[in-house]
Amino acid sequence: MFDWPLLQQNAPLLLGALWVTLQVSMAALVFGFIIGIVVGSLRLSPIPLLRRLGGAYIFVFRGIPLLVQLLFIYYFLPRVGLPNVSPTVAAIIGLSLAAGAYIAEIMRGGFLAIPGGQLEAAGLLGMSDAQMLMRIRVPQAVRLTLPALVNEMILLIKASSLVSVVGLADLTRTAQNLAASDYMFVQDYLMLAGFYCLINVPLAYAASLLERRLKERTA
Amino acid sequence: MTFDPSIFTDHLGDIGAGFLVTLGTWSSGVVLGLALGMLIAVAQVFGNNFVRAPLRVLIELIRSTPFLVQLFLVYYGGPSFGISLDPIPAGILGLGVYGGVYFAQIFRTGFQSVAQGQLEAADCLGITRLQSIWRIQLPQMLVMILPALVNMVTVLCKETAVLSIITIPELTMVLTGIGSETFAFVETLLMLCIGYLILVELCSRLGMLLETRIGRFMSRQPR
Amino acid sequence: MNSLLIPGGNVPGQSPESIGERMKTNDEQSTVLTLNKVGKSFGHLRVLKGIDLQVQRSEVVCLIGPSGSGKSTLLRSMAFLEEYDEGEIRIEGQLLGWQDTDKGRRRAPQAQINQVRRNVGMVFQQFNLWPHMTALGNVCEALRRVRKLSADDAKKRGMAMLDKVGLAHKADAYPAQLSGGQQQRVAIARALAMEPHIMLFDEPTSALDPELVGEVLQVMKTLAKEGMTMVVVTHEMGFAAQVADSVIFLDQGEIVARGTPQQIFHNAEQPRLQQFLQNYLDRNAFWQDARP
Repeated sequence: MFDWPLLQQNAPLLLGALWVTLQVSMAALVFGFIIGIVVGSLRLSPIPLLRRLGGAYIFVFRGIPLLVQLLFIYYFLPRVGLPNVSPTVAAIIGLSLAAGAYIAEIMRGGFLAIPGGQLEAAGLLGMSDAQMLMRIRVPQAVRLTLPALVNEMILLIKASSLVSVVGLADLTRTAQNLAASDYMFVQDYLMLAGFYCLINVPLAYAASLLERRLKERTA
Repeated sequence: MTFDPSIFTDHLGDIGAGFLVTLGTWSSGVVLGLALGMLIAVAQVFGNNFVRAPLRVLIELIRSTPFLVQLFLVYYGGPSFGISLDPIPAGILGLGVYGGVYFAQIFRTGFQSVAQGQLEAADCLGITRLQSIWRIQLPQMLVMILPALVNMVTVLCKETAVLSIITIPELTMVLTGIGSETFAFVETLLMLCIGYLILVELCSRLGMLLETRIGRFMSRQPR
Repeated sequence: MNSLLIPGGNVPGQSPESIGERMKTNDEQSTVLTLNKVGKSFGHLRVLKGIDLQVQRSEVVCLIGPSGSGKSTLLRSMAFLEEYDEGEIRIEGQLLGWQDTDKGRRRAPQAQINQVRRNVGMVFQQFNLWPHMTALGNVCEALRRVRKLSADDAKKRGMAMLDKVGLAHKADAYPAQLSGGQQQRVAIARALAMEPHIMLFDEPTSALDPELVGEVLQVMKTLAKEGMTMVVVTHEMGFAAQVADSVIFLDQGEIVARGTPQQIFHNAEQPRLQQFLQNYLDRNAFWQDARP
């Protein structure tokens, strides 16, 4: 069932595509994190309208399948006058928007875990809201939510398998192309699964390690 | 961009059929996933190491790979193992296995959440292991894990969209098909988004309703 | 008083292998529980070091000792919640938990363990009620599933037991709606419903607020008066002094002293026991001094 020479021939191609997958996922994590902080803060805003806005964002981007979101971007961007967006950018936009909704929920939990007295203290010292957010809330929330953020990275890497619908040749699409030409479905797709594991298994291990450390420190 | 409702009225039959396929694959996947998940969780909680070790590897593999890749392995790889499935059964199997692993994790946490002492008390009274699981652990853990279960059920609802990639004619495939036929992409995709939002929201509303119903004994009332 | 509480005679339906045992049981009718050189280790730590003990019918034995002395482990071994690894524990003559085969000692099948221990009732420090069942549901569960009583019979019996502990009016309350003392009384009713020949209490009042201790001790005292055989791990020296027929002082996994309450509490000779009692008195004195 396995064809060793073919495997050796295909592996470098997949390795190259793995790089594409990683780039897109990493970029989406960064932008998603920024969106997440904004939307997460909105969710905790004292102004009801802003809270609603944050809630609506999360509702929409968590409720719609990522595949549909990506299709939307693929067909929608040209309509609003952006016909020449590269597939990479389209993929990053799609993944970031969705990741932002999940990270917003994570960050909200992180923000809520910070004792309120700290913010009162900072307010008394004359810090502005923005300063408090960047200097006090975000650093602590990140430390508290680091395991969840690593898990989010795993989810993103897996989710990126759908970006081929916007025309990007990521890991999954490359394996699909290989399988379509050599008909070694089992071999190619198992290798594909192996490449995802290569990244995600260590990440999962790191996440559980971080979680245990966090528990020990807060216990 | 003008909205032309005739796009939908002209294809009402197709859309309805697609909706039914989405509902059907989703619910079958959920049922299969719950059953598999319970089996795996029981084997993990009560089994010996010979059972646990391979399960751990399987779970790790499935949690580390995208659903789409698993779907490819079942659908395109299956024939090499002598399992040639039509798209829909392959999709349901894929959903079930994928969901099963996550459901198992949820059930496992649930089993562990019931205090050991309650089981000791049952044990002392001669209540068997199986009776204990059924009468003492399950009813209690169900309340605890219901939100996680409902969340996973909505995740599976969204994953059914991926089934379109292996040519299952569910909602996403039908509506994008109509889109490319009529070039009304935005309208059809908008409709698709709203459809999924309604499904997911309905599902979590139902979950919350269920939660308050079965969780009644947990609430403290004045003595 | 309710006669349901004082069981007598043997239980029908024992397996043929145990007939020989039962003959012996009849000869030693008065001994309910026998421990013979019982030992137990957790890894390298030997927490029980060859405990010998006999409990006669209607006897009340209190186990006292500092925390970590092994008294809870000993009590839990008597219900085979801990697997003791040396010696033997016999309940009305029948070996608990193990069976001897040609390849040595093996854990007995669960059905056999249950059969031996069906005459043992256990009450836990943390009550261990099932929170999703009402008080009555907790008491009836084993009657229905293990004794296979009909719903009506189980309910009748369950209500009688709740009445016994003074909680018939709380039959439909869930554990979360009951005070700690009430929960523990339900737990006692749950164990009593199975008509045990011996009741084991594992620090039954240690998890209770001080003002709730009395009601639980009162129920236990009534049980003792009615002739229930009881083994009680407790920190309530007053209870031990008043109710126990014999008191056993355990320290570092050994029985250091045993005797009547009089001998243990008033004529203590062993230095370790003296020290333990002194600590107890000091604590109480501190409490007394603090009062206006």
